[in-house]
Amino acid sequence: MKNKIYILSAAHISAQTPLREDWMKNPILYNEEYVRAIEPNYKEHFSALEARRYGQLLKRALLVSRKAMETSGITNLDAIITGTGLGCIENTEFFLKDLTFNGEELLKPTHFINSTHNTISSLVAIDTKCNGYNSTYTHKGISFECALQDAFMQLNNRKINTALISGHDEMTPDYFAILKKTGYLDFSEQGFAGETAVAMILGTEKTANTLCKIEKVETLYTIDFEYINSVTEKFAKPDYIFTGINGQSENDNRYFDVCEKIFPKVPLLQYKNLFGESYTAPALGIYAAANCLQKGNIPVHFLIQGKSANCKSEPTKILFYNNFEGKNHSLILLSIC
Amino acid sequence: MSKILVSGMGIISAIGNNVVETLQSLRENRSGIEHLRYLKTAHNKFPVGEIKLSNEEMMRMLNIPENLPVTRTSLMGMLAVHEALISACYCWRNQQLSDKQKVAALFKMTDKRIALINGTTVGGMDKREQFYKDFLENDSKNDYIKSHDCGTCTEMIADYFGIFSQLQTISTACSSAANSILYGAELLKNDKADIVVVGGSECITKFHLNGFKMLMILDREKCRPFDITRAGLNLGEGAAYLVLEKEEHFRKRTALSPLAELKGYANTCDAYHQTASSPEGDGAFLAMKKALENANLSLSDIDYINAHGTATQNNDLSEGTAIQRLFGDNIPPVSSTKTFTGHTTSAAGSVEAVISILALQNNFVPANLGYKKKMQELNFEPFTNSHKTLKPVRVVLSNSFGFGGNNTTLIFSKL
Repeated sequence: MKNKIYILSAAHISAQTPLREDWMKNPILYNEEYVRAIEPNYKEHFSALEARRYGQLLKRALLVSRKAMETSGITNLDAIITGTGLGCIENTEFFLKDLTFNGEELLKPTHFINSTHNTISSLVAIDTKCNGYNSTYTHKGISFECALQDAFMQLNNRKINTALISGHDEMTPDYFAILKKTGYLDFSEQGFAGETAVAMILGTEKTANTLCKIEKVETLYTIDFEYINSVTEKFAKPDYIFTGINGQSENDNRYFDVCEKIFPKVPLLQYKNLFGESYTAPALGIYAAANCLQKGNIPVHFLIQGKSANCKSEPTKILFYNNFEGKNHSLILLSIC
Repeated sequence: MSKILVSGMGIISAIGNNVVETLQSLRENRSGIEHLRYLKTAHNKFPVGEIKLSNEEMMRMLNIPENLPVTRTSLMGMLAVHEALISACYCWRNQQLSDKQKVAALFKMTDKRIALINGTTVGGMDKREQFYKDFLENDSKNDYIKSHDCGTCTEMIADYFGIFSQLQTISTACSSAANSILYGAELLKNDKADIVVVGGSECITKFHLNGFKMLMILDREKCRPFDITRAGLNLGEGAAYLVLEKEEHFRKRTALSPLAELKGYANTCDAYHQTASSPEGDGAFLAMKKALENANLSLSDIDYINAHGTATQNNDLSEGTAIQRLFGDNIPPVSSTKTFTGHTTSAAGSVEAVISILALQNNFVPANLGYKKKMQELNFEPFTNSHKTLKPVRVVLSNSFGFGGNNTTLIFSKL
């Protein structure tokens, strides 16, 4: 008998009001192409020394992790698994800039220590005193779903009973400019580049604040409809598909095409219009979908013109689907619990 | 539970461009640690374990066009994955098949369910540090921007072969490749893939050479793991991959013997410090203990410990103490092969997995080169004479520990 797996709690710091679900009723809308996360007041949570030592991303990661744990009521974690596309890019850049412009003699070790990808998982483990399984996935737009898949398999097999999974990416002005050149973060027309900090507690036992159930997690590298169909055949037909539509027409059309082929006529939704694009934006999408299931409603700003017909008022099953530039597809089926 | 078998392996490091050369160097106690040859840095006095090939030479070996924006980590990865895949095709060794046909035949058997799990932390940092100024100031090196991250490094390796349906990149610093092996085995057990290619690749960059230098953990001499005079590590670079599959899948395609069995594994976290290990080696102790439980083996079953053994003050004390705590008075031969390859960081877990399997296959314990005098804190000495066979090597335990107290232990055995 396989386990049931739940998202017990989730917390975010992003372009929307941090650590709250205000975006459901009162979303903040943006017209810029690049939006930094709204920072909570860190002074309430960190000593002056900690606040100085840790970069923005590490502070966010610690705070959303603490908040998610508090909401879930879980105090003993069995695993900590992080997804991050770029890791601590701000500190990486500090070190790179010194290296590039000042040579190899005046570098700061703190920047190096805080630049490695797994410094996030490690710091959260120290903060939560968790000696259990600890891993970090860093594969572009699918980094968070890899972390989710790892936790899902271990929970399913009863190797662990709880896991803290998270998705973290910060975006510095220089890195935004660099990635805009590749087209990935080119939002000259619509949409914006954002930042992500999401922590979720997964568990096999339902608790009072539980958000939803995770039914299935599938990832695949290149599109192959035969394969996708063989996977989705096992899925019950969802009420909605949460897509990674972000305002870039090439990206958006890809979602319309794929969704039409796998689940025709199922209404499509978006979330990147509120949270922005980032490597770990799917963490925000799953967080948003989980909240929609728990609260039994879909905010109107998630609807897509011409693609959200036949909407059911209270969702019971949501398919989350993301891809990254046409590769790295993830399919996650969530349901009410 | 079905056994997880190692059906292929490939390696490239300072001591050889393939498995045969690697074994030869190990048997002849020939270290690959030398002065810097390829990386351009102000700190060229530090000895390192570089791969003895330039990027251009690797591109020629792989038939890659000169103008393609590839990174050193990817090139090394392609060479090692290629060797691993071809070696897994030995069931067709008597047939006149080209390498390409062999890989295609393997792919056909998997119902498109073949995964590549790659460990790397440096990723495309070699080109990023070289062209960062251009990225910021002009458009001349834009082609290289896309190769900047870890995920792209994995995709470049995968795209060279075009057979992988699932990709994942793990970045847990110096335990990355070991965690990839562990995770690949989990994918098989959960029926998410039929074959997984698992390991890691990492080239030396100015970025982490300088980072390690700032942390004052680089030795100006050749490293001396578990020695009282140890003064730090030598950086190395390398790539190594294993092909894993479940026993029933393997048996379907061949009656021959696999290379080894992945018997058990565990990953734990020290949760002590961002860069240092706890002096008592709590995380290391727990990783080894849990791996033994996972493998369903007892302490006396272990014939050889391939230690993480970086030769830093901190690691060797912490790891040595953990080994002593766990094994008590019956410590099997212990050696660190980083004296051969240098510390290949994210690739170390799979580089040393291949070395561990070579030890199993050839019944020997690689020497802990450069060792002279015992550490005061430990009651054991590392194994120094690879020609002295003690007893058959049937089970090997291999440790990989990373920044942030990320501890992984893998256990391989003969079948």
